[in-house]
Amino acid sequence: MKNYDVVIIGGGSAGLAAALEVNKNGVKNILVIERDQELGGILLQCIHNGFGLKVFKEELTGPEYAERFVNMLKEEGIEFKLNSMVTKINKDKTVEYANSDEGFIQIQAKAIIITTGCYERNAGAISIPGNRPSGVLTAGTAQKYLNIDGYLVGKKVFILGSGDIGLIMARRMTLEGAEVIGVAEILPFSGGLQRNIVQCLEDYNIPLYLSHTVTEIIGKDKIEGIKVQKVDNFVPVPNTEMEFEVDALLLSVGLIPENGISEAAGIELHPRTKGPIVNESYQTNIEGVFACGNALHVHDLVDFVTTESRKAGEKAAKYVKGEYKDNVERINLVAKNGISYIVPQMVSSENVDKTIELFMRVTDVYKNVEFVIKQDGKELKRIKKKHLAPAEMEKVILTKSQIEGANKEITIEVEAL
Amino acid sequence: MYDVLIIGSGITGACISREMSKYQAKTIIIEKENDVAQKATLANSAIVHSGHDPIPGTLKAKFNILGNRMYKQMSEELDIPLMECGGLVVATTLEEEKTLDMLYARAFENGLKKSEVKLLTKDEVKEKEPNISDHVTKALSLPSTSVTYPLEAAIANIENAMNNGVELATNEEVISIVKNKEHFEVFTKRNKYEAKVVINASGINAENISKMIAKTNFTISPRKGEYYVLDKDVTLVNSVIYPTPSEKGKGVLVTPQYHGNTLLGPTSEFVENDTESTTKKGLDYIKVNIEKTVTNIPYNKIIRSFAGSRPTPSTKDFIIEESNIKGFINVAGIESPGLTAAPAIARYVVEGIVANNIDLVENKNFNPYRKKVIRMNELSDEEKNELYKRDSRFANIICRCESITEGEIIEAIHRNCGATTVTGVKNRVRAGAGRCQGGFCQPEVLKILARELKIDPMEVLYSKKDSAILKAKTKGE
Ligand SMILES: Cc1cc2nc3c(=O)[nH]c(=O)nc-3n(C[C@H](O)[C@H](O)[C@H](O)COP(=O)(O)OP(=O)(O)OC[C@H]3O[C@@H](n4cnc5c(N)ncnc54)[C@H](O)[C@@H]3O)c2cc1C
Ligand SMILES: Cc1cc2nc3c(=O)[nH]c(=O)nc-3n(C[C@H](O)[C@H](O)[C@H](O)COP(=O)(O)OP(=O)(O)OC[C@H]3O[C@@H](n4cnc5c(N)ncnc54)[C@H](O)[C@@H]3O)c2cc1C
Repeated sequence: MKNYDVVIIGGGSAGLAAALEVNKNGVKNILVIERDQELGGILLQCIHNGFGLKVFKEELTGPEYAERFVNMLKEEGIEFKLNSMVTKINKDKTVEYANSDEGFIQIQAKAIIITTGCYERNAGAISIPGNRPSGVLTAGTAQKYLNIDGYLVGKKVFILGSGDIGLIMARRMTLEGAEVIGVAEILPFSGGLQRNIVQCLEDYNIPLYLSHTVTEIIGKDKIEGIKVQKVDNFVPVPNTEMEFEVDALLLSVGLIPENGISEAAGIELHPRTKGPIVNESYQTNIEGVFACGNALHVHDLVDFVTTESRKAGEKAAKYVKGEYKDNVERINLVAKNGISYIVPQMVSSENVDKTIELFMRVTDVYKNVEFVIKQDGKELKRIKKKHLAPAEMEKVILTKSQIEGANKEITIEVEAL
Repeated sequence: MYDVLIIGSGITGACISREMSKYQAKTIIIEKENDVAQKATLANSAIVHSGHDPIPGTLKAKFNILGNRMYKQMSEELDIPLMECGGLVVATTLEEEKTLDMLYARAFENGLKKSEVKLLTKDEVKEKEPNISDHVTKALSLPSTSVTYPLEAAIANIENAMNNGVELATNEEVISIVKNKEHFEVFTKRNKYEAKVVINASGINAENISKMIAKTNFTISPRKGEYYVLDKDVTLVNSVIYPTPSEKGKGVLVTPQYHGNTLLGPTSEFVENDTESTTKKGLDYIKVNIEKTVTNIPYNKIIRSFAGSRPTPSTKDFIIEESNIKGFINVAGIESPGLTAAPAIARYVVEGIVANNIDLVENKNFNPYRKKVIRMNELSDEEKNELYKRDSRFANIICRCESITEGEIIEAIHRNCGATTVTGVKNRVRAGAGRCQGGFCQPEVLKILARELKIDPMEVLYSKKDSAILKAKTKGE
């Protein structure tokens, strides 16, 4: 069995950043395993601009952003395998993968970083009544057909869900000559970034129907139309039906961290993030197994993925070098009123150098509010926020001493000004 | 000229075709869809019923018991999934308890053995099924109940029949039938087939097909059943949970499936032509009724819904007989327990009716065995690498959720009765049947289909005719 210090599962932006950081921290025996034929992950199909504003201070396309990291990886001589699917990881940190060059292989790692990205919620999960004809696809699958393979899945398209992929596909398909009839969002606010609403819908006069959903799919073998209805608190409002003729319905109804192999290995997942529960070092409940990127929680900005994954890479390297302290007291980071989740879920000041970044999402749209941060119920600080939305990830930085000041937990909540 | 022409490739036609392949006869199956078994046989509960339920003396009762007894051998010969999980009919009121006692007696009358029927107390039920509702007071245990995978059962029968010489023509809808002196002429939209014997196994279409040529004194009405499917990681029940039946039918069941999912359903509603779509009303009905028998249902684990229609006959019993036209045989009204009964019906149709029309000479070369498509994730590491050495595509995993390799997909395409569509692949090897429902692998499966079938990617179908996934090339191309 071959031995590696760190094995990284998935060569998307998270895996690439983590690998480079492990390397930078002096641990050189690394392997990145990627099932696709190229490194880069989801970035490769995001051919629009808007990546890297924070990390590179310039606007790149997804493939350009990925290319920078891939080049660095190659320059550093970090080993990677393509067309290779990881099928299993085990508690003893053996990793099983398969490809057509080597067959079915098992290797031994000292540390594992899970960066398997996410998958899209699909038609089944939202159970729209009606037939199950062809022409109902997730937006990401349609994006892959379009941007990687060069085919349009429809010429008259409706989009259910206002997630970013759906918004970006609305513009992309319009530019390719398809008619995008509209986007329906069941919530009273968009699930995507504000800049995407403006640049992808408003600029092309594509209507966004908030508080609306698709209540019926028409067509037996192939989709022929849909019924869209206004909803009040998720319940369709009678007499508000609109019928549209379509040849494709794209679903952009959410992303779910991909944790098939982590779950099978006994990694505990968080009910909200649907990703592993991790500590300040991005370590899961299995010692030496780390997670970051969309596999940990769904990100909307690649820059956050990169910073988070660098941290995870650094910690994994420390773990291999024996500089990481696992058996230490930890306090919980608890999401209270208005906050949906906080990542990481727990922290020990002993593994924090000066500061720690906490990532979180809110549960609703808020204007002019404050984040209230408390140590064991006692107020620590307040941060003013002009605008908050569930679609936009928020970041809060705590110092080592602020963490040391708490005995049990630090809570964060949203409070009206 | 064919000796026997079978209309319909559902489980009934499939079993008849295999039964025919035991003889030296020229047999063909004609199917209107582009793949086999896409109607009732695709969308049902998948239960091999014990035979406790049909009214004694009916064909349903007779062939149910016989069929149940034949399934084990058939599943061994054809490598068809069979999960011997048993079933429980549960009662929640005194009245229902009385019905249970009646069913208990009926089970014996229908021919079940002593070891195949048992009454359980509330505590005994709870022990077997922790998620059973507290309302349940008593149950009838039926250990000879099992669960199969109906589509594979049909495919396996047809594949084996084809390996033994039977032909299959898909995309051929029968539109008229005439009889010349000695033989039938069966017309489809594209062709004419001649045969000495015609067997009508066309499901909900059987009344129409029969009327094309024979005196028909039955009607067939589609009766729809809708379901919810729970994710594989949920273990809600260990056996099939039937509510106590009422005049509305068997009621809403909870059924574990062979691949690990759980079905909630079916409903029962007569419909005109909307035979395969789910409705809000139907799905809500399931939620309301299911709680009577089982609790702790994780609705957040629903991964999809589907519906199928039973070919319900006006006669209330299976119609298995030669019509007034000699050589034209109706196998109609095959509603539940039709999946269970099919192998027994097939044997009776061939030995008891076809044999009166043509001389059946044994096919000495008949090979009863068929192996399922290799499932890499069921093999040991050594076996996997063995296969990999033979063909490296058996290590190229295409579907992450279900760990399905390119090798398996190619095999599913090139076998007899092979897959020609994305859904056909999914139904045969489960590529795309997992959590992400093909989100990642569908574009890969599409490419493999195009390459193996030597067609343009734009011609690859999702499922039915006219269901191409790709609509246009991008401007850049
Ligand atoms: C459609 C879309 C548009 C976006 N647009 C923007 C934008 O405009 N600007 C911006 O800043 N951010 C954007 N983002 C967010 C950001 O780009 C992503 O969150 C980020 O790229 C995710 O990186 P990742 O490495 O975590 O996941 P991924 O990129 O998904 O990488 C995961 C990798 O793991 C591999 N993998 C998975 N399972 C296995 C396995 N079992 N074995 C081997 N390999 C495996 C996958 O093939 C994949 O390459 C967008 C995201 C999406 C989905
Ligand atoms: C909701 C539901 C639940 C059920 N549960 C169970 C169960 O748990 N256990 C059980 O034993 N039974 C069950 N059944 C019954 C069982 O599914 C059926 O009895 C069985 O599948 C019928 O098979 P078939 O081959 O007769 O019909 P089908 O499977 O309907 O096949 C008929 C075929 O004929 C073809 N055809 C029709 N018209 C033409 C034409 N003009 N030309 C060419 N081809 C044509 C159709 O395309 C189709 O392929 C259930 C049924 C339903 C609907």
